[in-house]
Amino acid sequence: MADFHVRSDSVDVEQIMGQIRTRIREKRGADYTEAELQHLASVKLEKFLDSRGVRSTLVEAFRKTRVASPEPASYEFTDETLFESPRPWLRRVRRWLAPILRLFINPDRVSAALRVQKEVNADFHRRFRAREEMDPLYYEVVHNLVLEITRLGIDVQNLKMRVESLSSRLDFDERRGRSLEGLVERRGSENVRPAEPGPRGPDVVRYGNGPRVTEGQGHGAPAGAVASGPLASVAAPQGSGLTPQEGRPDDRDRRRRRRRRRRRPGQNLASMPGAPQNAVGGAHSTGDGRGQTGGAVPASDDVDGSDDGSEGNGDEPEDTHQ
Amino acid sequence: MKLAVVVQRYGADINGGAELHARYIAERMARHAEVEVLTTCARDYITWKNEWPAGEERINGVRVRRFAVSKPRDPRDFGLRSQVVFDRPHSVADELAWLESEGPTSPDLVRHVARTEAEVDFFVFFSYRYYHSWHGIRAVPGKAVLVPTAERDPAAGVSIFGPVFRGARALMFNSFEERALIEGVSGRTGPGVVVGVGSEVPDQPQPGRFRRKFDVKRPFAIYVGRIDENKGCRELFDYFGRYAAMNPRGLDLVLVGSKVLDVPSHPRIRYVGFLPDEDKFDAIAASDVLVMPSRYESLSMVALEAWALGRPVLANGHCDVLRGQVIRGNGGLYYESFEEFAEALYALEGAGPIGGPFGRNGREFFRRHYAWPVIERKYLDMFDRLKREPASGRIDPIPGWMARRRRDCRPAAAVVGAVKAGPVVH
Repeated sequence: MADFHVRSDSVDVEQIMGQIRTRIREKRGADYTEAELQHLASVKLEKFLDSRGVRSTLVEAFRKTRVASPEPASYEFTDETLFESPRPWLRRVRRWLAPILRLFINPDRVSAALRVQKEVNADFHRRFRAREEMDPLYYEVVHNLVLEITRLGIDVQNLKMRVESLSSRLDFDERRGRSLEGLVERRGSENVRPAEPGPRGPDVVRYGNGPRVTEGQGHGAPAGAVASGPLASVAAPQGSGLTPQEGRPDDRDRRRRRRRRRRRPGQNLASMPGAPQNAVGGAHSTGDGRGQTGGAVPASDDVDGSDDGSEGNGDEPEDTHQ
Repeated sequence: MKLAVVVQRYGADINGGAELHARYIAERMARHAEVEVLTTCARDYITWKNEWPAGEERINGVRVRRFAVSKPRDPRDFGLRSQVVFDRPHSVADELAWLESEGPTSPDLVRHVARTEAEVDFFVFFSYRYYHSWHGIRAVPGKAVLVPTAERDPAAGVSIFGPVFRGARALMFNSFEERALIEGVSGRTGPGVVVGVGSEVPDQPQPGRFRRKFDVKRPFAIYVGRIDENKGCRELFDYFGRYAAMNPRGLDLVLVGSKVLDVPSHPRIRYVGFLPDEDKFDAIAASDVLVMPSRYESLSMVALEAWALGRPVLANGHCDVLRGQVIRGNGGLYYESFEEFAEALYALEGAGPIGGPFGRNGREFFRRHYAWPVIERKYLDMFDRLKREPASGRIDPIPGWMARRRRDCRPAAAVVGAVKAGPVVH
């Protein structure tokens, strides 16, 4: 049988999955998968100890000491202890022979040393027990410190990611704003010339989270007009001819004022009577930042940038499913 | 040529994967050989209770011989034994007791298989994990052809199945991943081929008819199958709810099949119930994409049907088989997290640029590998090959009384876990 290669020239599963994953990474701002996040959320604190430079056996060591040590074997020792025996007759014989033993050694010194040792043992045990009672407190303190350090570390990481994400969003918004302003300027100055509609057919199709971009984007359609969603920044790179055009500030202000006047509260241009169904930038303005159409190419009757407010500016996309 | 198809349940109204697969194969092979189906009187796969009378009948022109199940399954006992065999070191005796508990215990069926060995050219056993296959293959190893329908679950690692995998004359796999799993756990090197199963897909489905009949106006993704947590439906509902919140103008979700799990009340989730084949194919043809959320599949027939109808498939990437099929067929995408689900579903919308090409690739993939003439040819070629090659007819014996009780079998889950996972991509 033939092998299982059934390849199309235009689509490839792994390639598209790669694009999807890249896009997700960019969106999320950190290279964690959902499974990794779940794991991090459920992991026990002890797992962090190594990574935070704390001795990995610390917790175990503390736990071990939490078991109270038994009291050492106690004993009584007097001068007679050396001669004691459970058998009375033997005890008597030893006492009779004691004077003879004293000729060879001094048992009184042995007795005295053992008595002192007994007292030392008792004192040591008292102190040791006191120390053991303090250990759980130390454990709690160290545990809480590690907990706080770990939390702070995670918070710092999260904050770093948020700052990074906000920074990239801000950057994107700035570029988008500049692009749109430049577009308005350029379209305003081009109003005197007849518009050249861009190619309509999607010759090269690229899957994207933002607008579905067609070849027309690079020619007839302004790239800044389709930039939308957190990932569409690639569609409006800086220095790609989208910087604001030089123009008279008075004209620009006038146009802006006019546009604002026409946008009454609760109403936008696309919802105004006479707004076109396929407006410039229609691909970029769904609530989720996703284009629903291949609408990167402006409608031919709206190619001049629709700055007059009567033709919409693409703030409301058209749902092509219906 | 005389063939006997041996399967745990059989009936025109049984839509379980392996059983439907067996019926399709029996009915198709009946065009080339004399086919008899040997099965039990059970209809319910949980209890194996005898619900059909023992004896002979004909279903769609195929003779079916039923044998009684000697004892129904006790699900609690089976669950406890499964824990022992799957998760703890155990003995061969434990595994044999587990198999007995799993059922369907039908000694009459096994005796009939052994008795008719001389009259039948080949016995085609379906589903390795059940009583009838294990005992049946041991009774007639020289004529046994096994369609394992194995998923990546711990049962594949139970040690008593190793000799059966190695001893059967040939294995007809559903996927390359299944083949890799079985060869990994058993060390089998004998004849085997990746076949799968075909489907009777109409040439001209009527998507408009489905939309009119069920008043479906918006574009939608479709799920076809049992609506069950084990099939990944709970995760699907969760993911789709989040996707719908993010994409107010995105796809709806239409569910087709019998309902075990409650369908959440959601304005964009529509349950249309169990549908006859005609409506089912119309529904798939009307959809933008078929979603397969199951993590455990040996072969997804409904995915093949979607491809046959030119629709892309969005599969759960945690299922090696589905993921491998999607990659090999280049007929859809897969997901392993919600983010991937949402992005992939968006990418596969009918209005998008890639749903169409994926659907066309899928149709071509189905035509080349899962059309019925291709499937039938693979079976017939295998039977011809087995006839030409001498059969050893040997199978490893069951260990002796003492050896059976030695607790030296590894947990089955660990055995399966040690086998390399992932899709097989050529």
